[in-house]
Parts: sequence; structure tokens; C-alpha cells
Amino acid sequence: MRRRSLRLRLMVTFGLGAFVLSSLFASLTYLGVRHVLVNDQQQTDRRQSFVNAALIRSTLFSSPTELPSLLNSIEKATASNVLVQTHHQWLSKSTGAATSDVSQAIIHRVLSGDTVEQTVNSNGEIIFVVGVSIPSVETQFYEVFQLSSLEHTLRILLLVLGAGALLTSLIGIGGGLWVTRRAVAPLERVSSAAALIAQGELTTRLEVGEADREVQQLTESFNAMVSQLVERLQRDARFASDVSHELRSPLTTLATTASVLVQHRDELSSIGQESLDLLVADLSIFQSLVEDLLEMARSDASATSSTVETVAVVELLNQSVRSASQRHGLPEPPIVVINAHECFIAVDRRRFERVITNLVDNAHRYANGPVAVRVEHFDGHVTINVDDAGAGVALEERDQVFERFFRGRASNDRGSFRGTGLGLSLVRDHVQGFGGTIHVLDSPEGGARFQIVIPAIEPDDQ
Amino acid sequence: MARILIVEDDDHIRAALRLMFEGQGFVVDEARTGEIGMELFSKVNADVAIVDIMLPGMSGFETCRALRDTSDVPIVIVSARDETADVVRGLESGADDYVIKPFAPEELLARVNAHLRRRPDKSTNAFQLGHLQVIPDEGVVRNDDGTELHLTSTEFRLLTDLASANGKIRSREDLLERVWGYDYFGDSRLVDVHIRRLRLKIEPDPAEPQFLVTVRGAGYKLVI
Repeated sequence: MRRRSLRLRLMVTFGLGAFVLSSLFASLTYLGVRHVLVNDQQQTDRRQSFVNAALIRSTLFSSPTELPSLLNSIEKATASNVLVQTHHQWLSKSTGAATSDVSQAIIHRVLSGDTVEQTVNSNGEIIFVVGVSIPSVETQFYEVFQLSSLEHTLRILLLVLGAGALLTSLIGIGGGLWVTRRAVAPLERVSSAAALIAQGELTTRLEVGEADREVQQLTESFNAMVSQLVERLQRDARFASDVSHELRSPLTTLATTASVLVQHRDELSSIGQESLDLLVADLSIFQSLVEDLLEMARSDASATSSTVETVAVVELLNQSVRSASQRHGLPEPPIVVINAHECFIAVDRRRFERVITNLVDNAHRYANGPVAVRVEHFDGHVTINVDDAGAGVALEERDQVFERFFRGRASNDRGSFRGTGLGLSLVRDHVQGFGGTIHVLDSPEGGARFQIVIPAIEPDDQ
Repeated sequence: MARILIVEDDDHIRAALRLMFEGQGFVVDEARTGEIGMELFSKVNADVAIVDIMLPGMSGFETCRALRDTSDVPIVIVSARDETADVVRGLESGADDYVIKPFAPEELLARVNAHLRRRPDKSTNAFQLGHLQVIPDEGVVRNDDGTELHLTSTEFRLLTDLASANGKIRSREDLLERVWGYDYFGDSRLVDVHIRRLRLKIEPDPAEPQFLVTVRGAGYKLVI
């Protein structure tokens, strides 16, 4: 979501920027050109009016009768309307309409001897009126110029500039798009690579190719960072695994000799016997601890050590529950199957058995054993509930129970049945490795329900 | 009195195992390498062998193969390596069982005893599998040209047990209990690997088994 908004923001910024700049430029151009064109036109018109006024004056002096034909030729030559007032008499070709273009104010001022010019907006058309007084023959001369051709030119200019501004804005948006794509693409690559790494694909690296210097730097430092992280992860995992591994041999000797001692327990004094019992009890805890640590180190190291198989959930569950119960010589809980007989999951058998064993052990440790194991197939998922009738898990502890070395207030957590504090944490790691989830809820029997949800799969043909 | 061969390079573990088995009335032969183990075995013919995987020189896998080439003696691998790949490799080199260190001593003892108790099942009648004749009485599988096919005792028991089910399915659990004699510490990988090995020997096309059939979600059955 955030990525999209950055892209959108950049695009809008570029588009708006281009629009504002191009509009400003277009407006200035339009105004400037308009000013120059109108000024030029008016200057030309003014000059012409003075020439015409001079012509009229000389005609009125020499041969006043030729005035109408002169006016005619002037109108023809300049495409303007000409009005002449001699001794308060209007002489014009198109007196009626044309006189209305000249306001009384202008007439008044020209009559008083001024030379007047004015731009008037008459019925939507811009006209330019020049009034010249010719006092020597008591004549006032008005020339009315239409600026419509200029208007036309300016309209076209406005249209062209507007289109230009629009085009520039579009180009701006396009440029924004391009820049964003270029700028965001490396980020996207980094983010998807990081996501892959988080999923456990530790070999993921960014491709080092032809790229901008900044991107190249980002790529290189990202790759270097990942390599270092992976190396460190592997070193840590290797260390944990080496330590546990090195513990195995002496532990084997210890356990074996302890069992030999147990065989000869009767030959020992009572002090010797008591010491031996303590030794054996703690030895088995030590053994479980090493096993759990090793398992944990392995699941930390990577997912590669797991061998995923397609297995029928009910068969595997039966087997796991049975071996988990019998290992401690405890009664087997019933397995309630709902719609899951033909249901398969993709898991590592050993790890799955470990999950069930740990949950069953946990129920024994805290609640006199599970009352039922319920498995249900629904909507592409398999739900496995290990239910007990114990005290349940307090709401605030429901996440904590999966933390490493977390211990609840155990009812049975003593002696050789003491837990390592790693069992449920391992369960969660494994279940997540299967692509599933685990939660603690309330069981129908009033105790705790450990609920595992794993995606069901279609069995491949074998 | 049962005789046990222990091939293990760790002196302490070997000594502890010797003490434990001697305490249980076994005659123990110790070897710290595969080579010594093989030499001892050729002289004393143990009833059961325990072999470690990480050995100097000849590896545990090689030792298993060498033992298997000369004898049907039950072999139990004892190893600190518990990845499925190692377990499968160990079983495929001819071992009958695989125990992971650190093990509960009683468990190892129980497994060794289970292997010693096992005798070929002679109650099943002779039957025909394609061109193969299985004769439980004599403990042999004969080709129709009279040549004998070599099965280990575990493989033979697996085959006759499936035959005694009369075409019904046996779950992995059932097989562990009936063939290996384990009540609870079964590892289903044991069954799968042995079935695979058996298929290689008796199936015309092991990739498309026609006799030893997997029933998904249930187990295996023998189609005669």
C-alpha cells in the first residue's frame, strides 16, 4: 500500500508541476504576444487615421464634392468604417450602425479639439476607435477599426498554447511514471528479496547487473548484508548443533553405565541407591534437554534437514499418539476423526511425531494426560486438537507457553517427568515449518486445547 | 547365551555397552573399527551386531554392507546422526534397525532382544509370487529356474507376515510390532526402507510394484 502511494504521489507531483509551469508559460506567452500584436495594430491604425485625416482635410479644402468617393476608397483600402462630421453634419457610408460605435464621450472630446483613441468592446467584438479633430475645416473624423482578424489569430494562439500546456502535463505524468518506475523498481526488488529471505530462502540475492551507481551500491550492500547474516546464522546454528553433538557421546556413556548401575542397585548401600536414583532421574532430563536443543538447533539452521512426505494424517496421528502414550506407559487417549480419513498433509514424519509426542507429554505433565485428540478436515485445512481436562492455560500465558524455557505452574512437573521447557517451543517451530499455526484455546472438557491447523494437500499418485 | 558384536570407536561408549550387555548375560565381542569388526565376526559369528556410523577407516555403512554380504545377522546401527537421510542410508546398507544416540539403554536392550527373539515365521504356507516361489518352511525364495533369491531375515519376515494377512492391509505400526517385535518405539522409516529394499528384490518393476502395494494412509498389503 505504501509503495503504491509513493508511486501515485510522485506521478501527481510531476503532472501538477508540469501543468503549473506550462500553464504559466502559456499565459505569459499569450499575454505578451497579445500585447505586442494589439499595440502594433493600433499604431498602424492610428498612423493611418492621421494620414486619412490629412487627406480629408486637403480634399475639403480643394474639392469638397469628392469627399464621398474619397471616404469610399478609404473604407475599401483599410477595411474600417469611417465617419466624418462636418459642421455638425454626419457624412458617412454607413452612418446609422457606425455612429453607435462611437460614444458620445468621444464625440464630445473630439469636438472640443482633442485627438482621441479608445478600444471598445462592442457586442463581443473589440473595436478600436480613433477620433481626430480637423479644426481648420470644422470637421471631426472618426475611424472605427475591427480587431476581429487579430482576435482570430489570438484565439488560435490560445488554442495552441493550451494544447501545448496539456501535452506538457501529460508528458510530465509520463515522466513521473518513468522516474518512479526506475526509482521504485530496485526498492521492489529489495523488498521481494527480503521477503524471500524472511521465508527462509537464504540463498536469495539481488542480481548485480547494469544499473545506476546508487542502485548498484544498494544491491551490493544488500547482498553483503544478507551474506553476513546467513553466515552468522549458520555459525550460531552450527555451534549449537556441535555443542549438542559433542554432548551425545559422553551422555550415551553416562546413560548406559547408569543403567548398568541400576541393574546392580541391590548391591549398593541405601546411600548409594538414593544417589543412583537422583543420578538416573537427572540424567534423563539432561538427555531430553540435549535432544531438544539439538532439534532446536536443527530447525533454526534451515528447513533443508527436513524430509517432507505426503502422509495420511489419521494414520500418522494414530501412530504418534500411541508411541507418545506408551513411552511413558500411560493410557492412550481416544482419537476422534471427523471427515479426515482420506486426508493428507505434507510433513516430516519424525517432526510431526515429535509435535504430537510433546503435546501429549505436555498434557500428562500439566493435566493428567489428554482426554481426546480430535482431528477434523475442513475447507482445505486439517485441524488437530489435543484436549485435556486440566486447569487450562491463563489467557495472558497463551502466547508465552510457546517461548523457550517457559514453564507453567506444573502439577506433574517434577522428577523424571520434568520438562525441558523447550517442548512447546519446538512444537511451534515445527508446526510453522509445516506451514501451519498453533494456538491454545479452551477444551470442551474445561481444560486446555492445543489446536494445530495445517493445510491439507491432494495426495500425489504413487 | 547370545553373542553380540559391538563396533564402536568411542572407548567409553563401547566399554559402557559391554558392561550393560555383559550384565544381561551376553557374550560381548568388541571392535573399535569396521575392519577389526569384520575380522572378529568371521571368527566368532555373533548373533547380533551393533555398529556405529562414524568410524575411522571403513565407515559404519560399509561395515553394514560387508556384514550383510556374508551373513543375515541382525544389525542395529547406533548413531548420533538422526537425519532421515542418514537413517535411510543406514538401513539401505543392510541394517535392520537404527538407534539414535543418546538412547535410553533399556530401549537398545529391548531392540536387541527383539531381534534375537525373531525366528523365521514357518507357519505360513508356501506361496507363489509371479515367477517366485516363497517357502517359509525352508526360509527360501526360489526363482522358477531353481536359483535361490537372497532375502535377509527381516525382509523374509516382512514378506511372510504380509502374506499371512491374506491380502488385508497391515499398517506400519502392525508391521513394526509383528516383524520387528517393537511395542512402542517404532520408527516408520524402518518399514518404508525395508519395503523398498524388498521391492528391489522381488518386484519385476520396483517403480511399479504389483505384489507389495502401498495403500495410502493405511499401510501395505501383499497382492498374491
